[in-house]
Amino acid sequence: MSPAPKRKKVILVGNPNVGKSALFRHLTGRYALVSNYPGTTVEISRGRLVLEGIEYEVIDTPGVTGLTPQSEDERVACEVLLREKPDVIVQVADAKNLRRTLRLTLQLVELRRPMVLVLNMVDEMRERGIEINADALAELFGIPVVETIATYGYGLRQLLRAIPRATVPKNPLREQQREVLGTSPEEADLPLGLIVEWMEVGDTRFQRQVEQLLGRSRLSPVRPLLELSSAPRGCHGCSASRSLCRALEHARAQFLEQAVLTLRKRGRARPRRELTPLAFRMWMGLLFCGVGLLVWDELGRRFSWPTPTVWLRDLLLRYVAEPTWALFHANRLDLVHRLLFGHPDTLECGVLVEAVRVLVLLAPLLVPTFVLMRHSARFLHQLGRWTRQPMSGIPILGVILILVYELVGYTGAQTLVGALEDVLFGAYLVPWLRSMIPSGFLHEVLVGPYGLISMGLTYALAIILPVVGTFFLAFGVLEDSGYLPRLAILSDRLLRLMGLNGKAILPMVLGLGCDTMATMTTRILNSPRERLIATLLLALGIPCSAQLGVILGIAAAYSPAVLFTVFGVVASQLVLVGHLAARVIPGERSDFIFELPPLRVPILRNILLKTWLRLRWFLGEVVPLFLLATSALFLLDQLRLGARTGIEWIEHGLRPLVVGWLSLPAESARVFIMGFLRRDYGAAGLFDLARQGALTTTQIVVALVTITLFIPCLANFLVIVKEQGWRRALAIVGFILPFAFAIGGILGRLLKALGAFS
Amino acid sequence: MEVDRELSELLEALWTLEEQGEALPQDVCQIAHTEVTDRLLERAVHEGLIAWQPSGHLRLTLKGRSVATPIIRRHRLAERLMCDILGVNVEETEAAACEFEHFIAEGITRAICTLLGHPRVCPHGRPIPEGTCCRQAEEHVSALIVPCDRLALGETARVAYVSTRSHPRLLKLSALGILPGVSIKLLQKWPSIVLQCEETEIALDEETAREIYVWRSSGEEPEGGAPLP
Repeated sequence: MSPAPKRKKVILVGNPNVGKSALFRHLTGRYALVSNYPGTTVEISRGRLVLEGIEYEVIDTPGVTGLTPQSEDERVACEVLLREKPDVIVQVADAKNLRRTLRLTLQLVELRRPMVLVLNMVDEMRERGIEINADALAELFGIPVVETIATYGYGLRQLLRAIPRATVPKNPLREQQREVLGTSPEEADLPLGLIVEWMEVGDTRFQRQVEQLLGRSRLSPVRPLLELSSAPRGCHGCSASRSLCRALEHARAQFLEQAVLTLRKRGRARPRRELTPLAFRMWMGLLFCGVGLLVWDELGRRFSWPTPTVWLRDLLLRYVAEPTWALFHANRLDLVHRLLFGHPDTLECGVLVEAVRVLVLLAPLLVPTFVLMRHSARFLHQLGRWTRQPMSGIPILGVILILVYELVGYTGAQTLVGALEDVLFGAYLVPWLRSMIPSGFLHEVLVGPYGLISMGLTYALAIILPVVGTFFLAFGVLEDSGYLPRLAILSDRLLRLMGLNGKAILPMVLGLGCDTMATMTTRILNSPRERLIATLLLALGIPCSAQLGVILGIAAAYSPAVLFTVFGVVASQLVLVGHLAARVIPGERSDFIFELPPLRVPILRNILLKTWLRLRWFLGEVVPLFLLATSALFLLDQLRLGARTGIEWIEHGLRPLVVGWLSLPAESARVFIMGFLRRDYGAAGLFDLARQGALTTTQIVVALVTITLFIPCLANFLVIVKEQGWRRALAIVGFILPFAFAIGGILGRLLKALGAFS
Repeated sequence: MEVDRELSELLEALWTLEEQGEALPQDVCQIAHTEVTDRLLERAVHEGLIAWQPSGHLRLTLKGRSVATPIIRRHRLAERLMCDILGVNVEETEAAACEFEHFIAEGITRAICTLLGHPRVCPHGRPIPEGTCCRQAEEHVSALIVPCDRLALGETARVAYVSTRSHPRLLKLSALGILPGVSIKLLQKWPSIVLQCEETEIALDEETAREIYVWRSSGEEPEGGAPLP
């Protein structure tokens, strides 16, 4: 054995949404976020793998459509490929898209590093009746080719065996390139074809990086070839690099045409088994019953008709909750009983009762949908069409929104928060601690009005955690189903008003999960201008999951009109600001060319894992911040300056703004201070105030709008600084702060003048 | 007005240079397919086709422009024809097109334009001046090659070429698999265009979709399917 073998590098590259991150997890055991839409990975992640006694560093990269980067995430991937000088390049490919795969392979070949080609998702390929001759493919490029299904770990062993046996690929276009360029990449020892394309695409920043990474001196022999690019040639005055590019592209297209014809096999395919017509109709019938049930229930609750879920709750309370009460009480398990079934007198809903209610609403919709998706290609095809056409897509979006509203607004923000905040923390834990801890400083710090437990932990664990948890769950299902990118089609025209295009819907929708993460996802957009506009809009008016949950929860407690007003106002401001920003910020709208991933049945394990990891991240990041913020409030409360405490001073200082301009009660100033520290902390404070009944409906609407438009939280701000720089970040905040208060005040006056909500 | 061959070559060179910016006399000399003598320039100025700018640049006059338009149009249509239908390499079309532009009659030009589906750019990505037929968009003669947004919903066709001046757009489309010879299916037209290409669904704005020209399968396809040499 050689002493201390060097760490080798393996880079995973491939088109977007082909399963690089899923393979990464299998190879390294480290979790990288996996979803069914292009652009989930915007940064590189690294992990470790030991194979046959050799240690490898595995690098996961964002998806690329080609090696000529056109957005920030693609640039990251291309740079890594050039900088890291990998020992093995593993190209991960969607097996059913052979042509695109090979086009990228042709470019990777020029780098002349050992390669392995992974044909992933062979199950989907076979279901569509396609088969690829992997041996012929391996021979064509002279590299190992492995078939896998990354989500199930199929073919992993073959991949592990192939990585150490990776070989430098043959370049099938060698002759053509020599003809066009005068020399081949092998002779020049440079990825010549790629260099010519980089020159043509004309991103100077990337060109400079390429020069740096490849070395100026190495480029000098081919410089005459590149210098041509500015000189006009022929009576068309085309740049030389463009004609070279077109000639190369032409050769590539010809090669691909041939290759696809010879490599594809037909006949051995195993298309998906179709449901019998009877079964198909039965499941479709069930699905429509599910929709009917949902509509009946939603309308029924508004107009106090009898609805299935209300019956069910009454039945549960009468026949299960009441008879068991004595049993639980006898065993001194009052608390458990209350958490499970709620209090029959107060109509407060227990966790168990709520779970049954939500299941009754969700199951008749989700079960037939998933069964049909899995077993019927016909349905999958139909569903794909329905979700992207406005006539059917908008009602489907409506149903999805109602389901999310039920899950996050009711189950999360009402029932779970009720059980945790009112019952567990409010009625048991905090009073018990108060009685245990002798009054004095410690008492004040832990369980006083601004106590670390009575406020900080209660807000974090009892209000925000259930809201965010249910949201992440719902969001995970939507992400993995491949539904979200379809919204891009429906929203393209609206987003064009704001100088963006349909692609920008992805960061916007992700912003509903967490604006901080979404701000990073703006990297998938094509131009710096679009990134700036999207970042501004995210910071301005996209409520994050906690805020959204609080809005949904408050709206569920007051009236749906609150919800529509808040969303209507915020959405109109987004469009307005976006439209103005598009006029002010120079530049052109970029092309909308966007790949739709196939719809898939989400895998429960992936969703649960993803939700759990997001929650763990959330707890790690949020709880300390909440405690810190609470301590700050506590100190302000303890600090006495003259007749008032620090908080009272601030409330006094903000009085003209909060009471005078927004017409909110003076104590809501606290909410805005909390909002500075974290968006969701402010939302939680507002939720708390609303639950105490301290606000009128108009005040609720004004406060919700203001706090939604209000500045981004600290974490989001720091990410904006990182992505856009200090000047732009401060400018964004400098715009948003007065703007949010202005809109809030105007809205309040308008509502009062119209006499709405009174 | 008819002009002789030397003059038309001069106008053509000047037109091409003006598309990129301003035209210096030495550039004109370099790219024109004729010897540009002082006498030739003088004659053109005399006929009111070109004018000297105070800055020393040359410029087409309004009259010169109207004379040059049909020449440019013929040249570029000829390139398109050879490149797409005859499968001649872009580089090789040049010489032939230069001959072509001098002798095709207006009627034939119109027929070629219709056959090709009123293309808007030449294979080099430069705009083709519109003719009357493009404005009227004659639909009685069914075009062989049409922009893909004119396909019927669910219709399948093979990509003939992508005629875009924007190279990044071309690269992006080809990276997604939209290459000459590939079958695509139009799935949706509104609010965005959705194409199926291999097993991928791709959403596009109309502007981009209009630049993807396809062979209608109802029309005759060349042997072997793809219009490649």
